[in-house]
Amino acid sequence: MTDRGRDIPAPPARWKRLVGEDGIQKWVFYIPVVFFILFFAAPMALTVVWSVFERTQFWMEPGFTLFAYENFFTSARAENYVLSMLHAAAAVVISFVIGFPIAVFIRRRVTRAAQHRVILLFILPFMISELVRVFAMRPVLGRNGVVNSVLMELGILSEPITVILYSPLGVIIGDVMSFLPFMIFAGFLALEAVQNYIFEVCDDLGTGRVRLFADIVLPLAAPGIFAGSVFIFVNSMGVALVPTLLGGPGAVNAGLIANQAIVALDFPLAMAISTIMIFTLVLLLYIGHRLFDLTKILEPIS
Amino acid sequence: MTEPAAKAVEVVELGKNYGPVTALKSVSFSIESGRYYALLGPSGGGKTTLLRLIGGFLRPSAGRIFLHGHDVSHLPPNRRPTSMVFQNYALFPHMTVERNVAYGLKLLRVPASDIRDRVDRMLAMVGLVGYNRRMPHELSGGQQQRVQLARSLVLERDILLLDEPLASLDAKLRKDMCLELKRIQEKVGITFIHVTHNQEEALTVADRIAIIADGELVEEGSARDVYETPNKRFTAEFIGDNNVLEGTVSDVSATGATLDIGFAKIEVPAPAASISTGERAAFSIRSELLRIAGRDEDIGASWQVVPARYVEDVYLGLTVSHLVQLPDGTEVVARVMSDSGDNGRFEPGDDVAVGWPANRARLHVA
Ligand SMILES: Nc1ncnc2c1ncn2[C@@H]1O[C@H](COP(=O)(O)OP(=O)(O)OP(=O)(O)O)[C@@H](O)[C@H]1O
Ligand SMILES: [Mg+2]
Repeated sequence: MTDRGRDIPAPPARWKRLVGEDGIQKWVFYIPVVFFILFFAAPMALTVVWSVFERTQFWMEPGFTLFAYENFFTSARAENYVLSMLHAAAAVVISFVIGFPIAVFIRRRVTRAAQHRVILLFILPFMISELVRVFAMRPVLGRNGVVNSVLMELGILSEPITVILYSPLGVIIGDVMSFLPFMIFAGFLALEAVQNYIFEVCDDLGTGRVRLFADIVLPLAAPGIFAGSVFIFVNSMGVALVPTLLGGPGAVNAGLIANQAIVALDFPLAMAISTIMIFTLVLLLYIGHRLFDLTKILEPIS
Repeated sequence: MTEPAAKAVEVVELGKNYGPVTALKSVSFSIESGRYYALLGPSGGGKTTLLRLIGGFLRPSAGRIFLHGHDVSHLPPNRRPTSMVFQNYALFPHMTVERNVAYGLKLLRVPASDIRDRVDRMLAMVGLVGYNRRMPHELSGGQQQRVQLARSLVLERDILLLDEPLASLDAKLRKDMCLELKRIQEKVGITFIHVTHNQEEALTVADRIAIIADGELVEEGSARDVYETPNKRFTAEFIGDNNVLEGTVSDVSATGATLDIGFAKIEVPAPAASISTGERAAFSIRSELLRIAGRDEDIGASWQVVPARYVEDVYLGLTVSHLVQLPDGTEVVARVMSDSGDNGRFEPGDDVAVGWPANRARLHVA
């Protein structure tokens, strides 16, 4: 290195001071920090700040008022918000019940070479516009939809069931359909890190299916399940499209409440709702941490 | 097959194919109870396959496996009297050392106080007293293997299977662990079957060694026999540092045979296999038995001596390898202890003689 350095003219002094001997490498480390501040911390801080600004006719002006929060908590919005959390939680639970066994199946029963191809299949739906994907649920779940006609043809139903569309249940079904792959990916990735030896040791010890799942698979996949759950929860609360298309009159989630505020040009209210969402999530993470010790769950498993 | 004196392991014409790949051809052998048995051979020879068949992790394509006289060919691993120690990464990463070892007993519904006693006793046995609360990632590779050993031994099954348990350890630690394994085996007195491709490891731990190559059992015998008097040419080439020379059998007598290797006729003791005149054969002689001397020196009365040209010496630490070339161009190696006065006597190109005790050469039918 020193040999080659001799032929290269020395860089100008000022450039040298800024970059230093190993300066480039040093600065590269800060790029993620800059990213974090620019695209993550700053917008969040602005959201909080703007939520206490005064509302004007078309925008807002600096000031301090808790009017937006008062508006939120004294209207039906607060109640809808809580309902939205419950629906999101239901979507998480259903996604786990359906998605995690799929992840386990792919890891344990599909040959190694085919595993990633199978996982890729679950990405395919994401190639379709979310709008189209969610909209396509309507002819499936509707009064004369696929589900009802099949069940009636089979004689299982005499009347079409109507609670599965334009209802809270419809929203939950839509959320599960939209976000289920996240549980499959996250669960599979966590399980992929588990050595095959581990399963062979279980065969050797005679761990039955139930114990294998409860004692080995579930704890080892916990970080993945947790990541998938957070993702599904946040999306179920925040993606306005699903209740708009599948929820029917009055169905909202947190994202749709914020959307409606923006449409009404009430920006401080939209910001307040977003702020409440941020704090809700932080609070849930904190509770999760106290209950399960997340650092332990997320600790690198070596 | 069910008499009380039945062998710990008896394998009959065992074969295994992975699709079109034949990993094990048709292997038959048996292991007596309480032995430390090594399966030694080159990579891809089928050692792991054989061990996994015994442990029940693979289904045989042909043949049967008897453990203590019972046909276990159709039983899953936990219903066999075997337990497996894997090469690496096989501890439950989310359980402490103690829970790792206790887990098998918990599945057997052993009372908690018994479990604690037995776990502590096993951890003491493998030299891990006080490590109960450590997590696997807080242990060194050697310590992790000790925990695996404890986890298997605590089940008190009769046969312990070890698949390259020391492969990821450094040379020094591997040597220590070898002696440790042997000590533990002697203490618990159960049968150990240890797979390795490292001959030093096999010679250190094992009472008996089976050489496995190309899906076949090449040779089986006590560690000393396999090292000192291998029957098969493959064994001679694989274990130790042997010189192998080929020739034609020119004479057969009651006590030995004469092998014509072109420039000399070599007397070799009687081989295990019957041979006849005119057959192609080879003989092997361990390099540490060879001695190099001047052309007119008298090496010894019962020594077989052939002329050679000195090539070079290579310093290997404990020993020095002296390379000489025989009249037909083949090179042979004589190994001498580094502190012996026999080093440095010859220059490259010198005419020398190389000899060995005639009764120490072994004949191999090619
Ligand atoms: N799952 C498998 N599918 C196909 N072929 C396999 C499989 N496992 C092993 N083989 C083949 O079977 C043969 C024996 O393999 P095995 O693992 O038993 O060898 P080994 O003696 O244990 O080698 P090593 O010392 O490298 O571990 C090899 O040729 C290997 O390529
Ligand atoms: Mg192997």
